[in-house]
Amino acid sequence: MSSPEVIYACRLLIRDTFRQALANGVFWVMLGACGVVIFFCLSVSVEHGEVKAPDDIEVDRASGHMSMAFGAWRLPKGSDDAKVVHALMLVLGEGVFGIVGTLLALAVTAGFVPEFLHESNATVLLSKPTPRWVLLLGKYLGVLSLLAAYVGLYVVGTWVAIGLRTGFWVNNYLWGMPLLLLQVAAVYSFSAFLGVCARSGLVCVFGSVLFWLICWGINYGRHYRVAVESLDPTLPQQGPVLRFLGEAGYWLLPKPVDLGMILHSALEARQADVHLQEVIRVGAFHPELSVLTSLAFVVGMVLLSAQQLASKDY
Amino acid sequence: MPGPAVAEFEDLGKVYHTGLLGRGRRMAVEHVTFRIEPGEVYGLLGPNRAGKTTLVKVLLSLCRPTTGRALRFQRPVSDRQTLARVGYVHESPAFPRYLSAPALLEYFGGLALLPEPVVRRRAGELLELVGLSDRGQEPIANFSKGMVQRLAVAQALINDPELLVLDEPSEGLDLAGRRLVLDVIAERRRRKLTVLLVTHVLNEIEQICDRLAVLVSGRLVFTGTVAELSRDPKTAASRPLDQALNQLYQTVSSPAR
Repeated sequence: MSSPEVIYACRLLIRDTFRQALANGVFWVMLGACGVVIFFCLSVSVEHGEVKAPDDIEVDRASGHMSMAFGAWRLPKGSDDAKVVHALMLVLGEGVFGIVGTLLALAVTAGFVPEFLHESNATVLLSKPTPRWVLLLGKYLGVLSLLAAYVGLYVVGTWVAIGLRTGFWVNNYLWGMPLLLLQVAAVYSFSAFLGVCARSGLVCVFGSVLFWLICWGINYGRHYRVAVESLDPTLPQQGPVLRFLGEAGYWLLPKPVDLGMILHSALEARQADVHLQEVIRVGAFHPELSVLTSLAFVVGMVLLSAQQLASKDY
Repeated sequence: MPGPAVAEFEDLGKVYHTGLLGRGRRMAVEHVTFRIEPGEVYGLLGPNRAGKTTLVKVLLSLCRPTTGRALRFQRPVSDRQTLARVGYVHESPAFPRYLSAPALLEYFGGLALLPEPVVRRRAGELLELVGLSDRGQEPIANFSKGMVQRLAVAQALINDPELLVLDEPSEGLDLAGRRLVLDVIAERRRRKLTVLLVTHVLNEIEQICDRLAVLVSGRLVFTGTVAELSRDPKTAASRPLDQALNQLYQTVSSPAR
């Protein structure tokens, strides 16, 4: 099969995925979820408090409030305006999309591959000359394009909304787009693999969420070990086998914690977690390698899924 | 000396692995050998679970043979390029329900690697042929079973295939739909294109098949013409096809599993 034919087939499958998302409501659910968060950002403002005299020992340099829901909910700032906006962006990137958005994306897209490969549907599809790996790649890229559209809308939408309301245009927040997309691409590649093997949406949802939690645990666990060994060298060290397994798991699997750390770094925010701070301090955190190995995982998982599909009897 | 076959099965066997760990084995077909010549309408008959669909699946690269080999246009069935010359109607097609009929034909035409302008032209012609041209952009979800079956025939013809595989094409079709299938087969025959027809409808077999193969419990028990099958081996007199088939099914004992 020539490259133009592969591109043509992938284009068809991407278009089909968007049609499927429109028809089953996924498109509107994700759009609505993005809209709610963007609307929330439009309700945010930073209010300055009164200026206090410098000789006042009770001085609160960060007096004022951050208001949300158009002033209905007010929180003391506790920091200067820029830091407050950065913190809000971290919550939006790491917490809202990084956790809630990823879970939502996994749940609503879990059925795409199993439905695509359901026996009664797939027999005609797989009897076409397009190779099976191209069919899977096209469907995967279709879902990824859909998710990319939402990530783009979410990050740009919240960036514009916060910029308009606070006057802070934090361009580095836009790094959230590739980082969040890489995170969902990695977990969705595992979901697609489960979809090929089990052809069940339910297996995909629970399997991929469990996988994501495992990745998070291995990622954080590795950093925790490195940090503890550095902070208190007198503590007993982990055995070589466990250490090797931890390192292998860390380097082979996606790294959701690392992606959050990169976003922190892009927003020039200090890590709240002392262990992650220590990992950065001792030079055991390599953002470029972290991104590259997460990308390698995506490629490897899509290849493995394609191989599984190619060897399956229908 | 026969010419190059359109499809050929040589001592073909297929065992499915069953159970959670795939340790169970179920023999679907064994020692099947026959060939389908260019331009013939070939019937594939047999009771339920005889292995007919498995043979079709092997021919369409949907599953791989366990033993023996299968060829499609003189190439191993693992060579997917030759699938561009094949059309397939599934016995109970389930298409993406959100697509309209033209969108479905464009989708499958594209995956059959046909150029876009050809797909558009063919889609229009075929929807006219199967009587769905007035459905416009209506989603397939609104179609009746018969309409979906007619759409299945249209999608199988999108690449004007040299080999048309029809697996129980009359399932769910009304009289007009059945007439359409027969017309399509007759048109293929006129153009010396090949049809493999899997069916239970003996009337169809008698009317249109040049030759047929009969499978029972995964074994090939007969290949030849309808006249040969109908001939009583004892008296050489002609008998009804259903009577001949029943006798054939009864005389074949189930193979040891």
